[in-house]
Amino acid sequence: MTVMAASSQLPAASQRDVVLWAEGLSKRFGGLLAVQNVSFSQYDGEILAVIGPNGAGKTTLLNLLSGVYRPSSGRLHLLGRDVTAEPMEARCHAGLGRAFQIVRPFPEMTVHENVTVGALFGKPGVSLAQARERAYDLLERTGLAAHADKEAHELTLLQDKRLEVARALATGPRVLLLDEVMAGLRPGEAQEAVELVRSVRDSGVSVLFIEHIMPVVRDLADRVVVMDQGQVIAEGTYHEVTANPQVVAAYLGTEEGLHA
Amino acid sequence: MEGRALDGSRAVVRRPDVPLRSLLPLGLFFLLALAFPFLPLGERAEYLMQIAFFTLVAGVLALSWDILARSGQVSLAHAAFYGLGAYGFALLGKVMPWFLAMPAAALLAGLISLVLGAVTMRLSGMYFAIATLAFTEVVRTIIQNLPEGAAGGANGLLVPALLGGNARAQYFLAFGILLLTALVSLAIRRSRLHHAFAAIRQGEETARVLGVSVVKYKLLAFFISSVLAALGGVLYAGKTFFINPLETFSLANSIAPLTTSIFGGLYTTLGPILGATVLRVAEEVLHNAIKNGYLVVYGLVLMLSILWLPRGLMGLLRRGKRGGDV
Repeated sequence: MTVMAASSQLPAASQRDVVLWAEGLSKRFGGLLAVQNVSFSQYDGEILAVIGPNGAGKTTLLNLLSGVYRPSSGRLHLLGRDVTAEPMEARCHAGLGRAFQIVRPFPEMTVHENVTVGALFGKPGVSLAQARERAYDLLERTGLAAHADKEAHELTLLQDKRLEVARALATGPRVLLLDEVMAGLRPGEAQEAVELVRSVRDSGVSVLFIEHIMPVVRDLADRVVVMDQGQVIAEGTYHEVTANPQVVAAYLGTEEGLHA
Repeated sequence: MEGRALDGSRAVVRRPDVPLRSLLPLGLFFLLALAFPFLPLGERAEYLMQIAFFTLVAGVLALSWDILARSGQVSLAHAAFYGLGAYGFALLGKVMPWFLAMPAAALLAGLISLVLGAVTMRLSGMYFAIATLAFTEVVRTIIQNLPEGAAGGANGLLVPALLGGNARAQYFLAFGILLLTALVSLAIRRSRLHHAFAAIRQGEETARVLGVSVVKYKLLAFFISSVLAALGGVLYAGKTFFINPLETFSLANSIAPLTTSIFGGLYTTLGPILGATVLRVAEEVLHNAIKNGYLVVYGLVLMLSILWLPRGLMGLLRRGKRGGDV
């Protein structure tokens, strides 16, 4: 597979810096190889989508990237540094942020306190006063400032997702991992979420996201990595990968279809 | 953006963690406690002073337990640290003056708590509780089986009376230790520790993803909590001047801080202190009123109040108010 061979080496000729480099990542659960020799690079300022049918291993890959799982083999490099052996909090300090698909606000904290946690601990040496200021800035940026004093459970789903993103951004990431942030949103809300992701990228944060909704992928992604049965089967622009016969075959017969 | 249009103020950023007004009830409690020995207590003064002393100790135990619970670690090892404080003080008191033996015993308990904290790091909920319970039994068994010359064995150990047995001086020492515990609790509330503890308690994995060094903060909670609990144990040993493993490391000493904190109001400074006061006084009153079976009534009252007051006594005090748990 030429695509994989090409991306398993750091593309030195590239104009832009690589921020995230997965090098042959595999994850085995007992007899199941959930992620198999996955390699890709993400460039600075890029929005990269990871797509694939259900069970393709996308969420497992995300868990390998954020450090929930340790890979069975392979390496992960973040901003030129090998973080394969580093725990979640160290990856956060090194510049990796993550927002969860199922929102996980701290339930007994206000919206502002939730974001303050990210700002306070995301990078070493931040004082409480600085963290509060930064948290409020992020609430303004994500349109949540009016809700700063509410408890997280009082928010709508879209606001919860904004909170999830605001809290991840508060940690000061260079790369932000988003796990199906559009899931459960109405079309109008999804459009707002797309705008939010764009504004995140425009602020200098590279975004890697998993998504099922193809129009969102088309609108947002600079580049798409397609997974099937734990492997990367294609990589390229949205139009390149959707024209790829292997990708079409992987999606055919699945419930979602490619253009769901 | 939408937010700025609706709310231009950044009041939420500047609001203090612990508003001065909310400290009023706590200050009132300490004023009353300070005045207590000077009240005309009548001929039962000695008895009342003793109850008051052990109420302060119960407050130290409950509040120190609560500090650990804030980090999501619901421990049943508090009797162990209480007991290590008592035994540490009894043994160290033989080779150094009491005012050195006291912090030394507390520090010793704090260091031992780091071992327990490291071992139970990956446990949560019921498994954590069981492991801490087992730890208490292990410590008790070790103390009990040391040579009698070392720690008194199963029979127990004589402890030199604190401050020459002067009840009023002992009371003020206990007052000071409770005040110290409350100040530590408030300092935590105002610091980054509060945010770390609350985040770990409300979602450990999420906390780690947001960069919270969970190992560090969990161990720190253990250390602070057990040092303070051990100071409570020192007070106990120095007051009763005789300790034995069965009573010192009893399950009741692990359960009491838990029920007291829940009854008073979890994750607050005033709650566990208030809970200890009300429960100790209620226990004595009931004991005097109904000699037999007072524990049944006591248990019933405790059960009903926990059912009706999910946020404890603090829920009554702060009805309708939000946040700022002091």
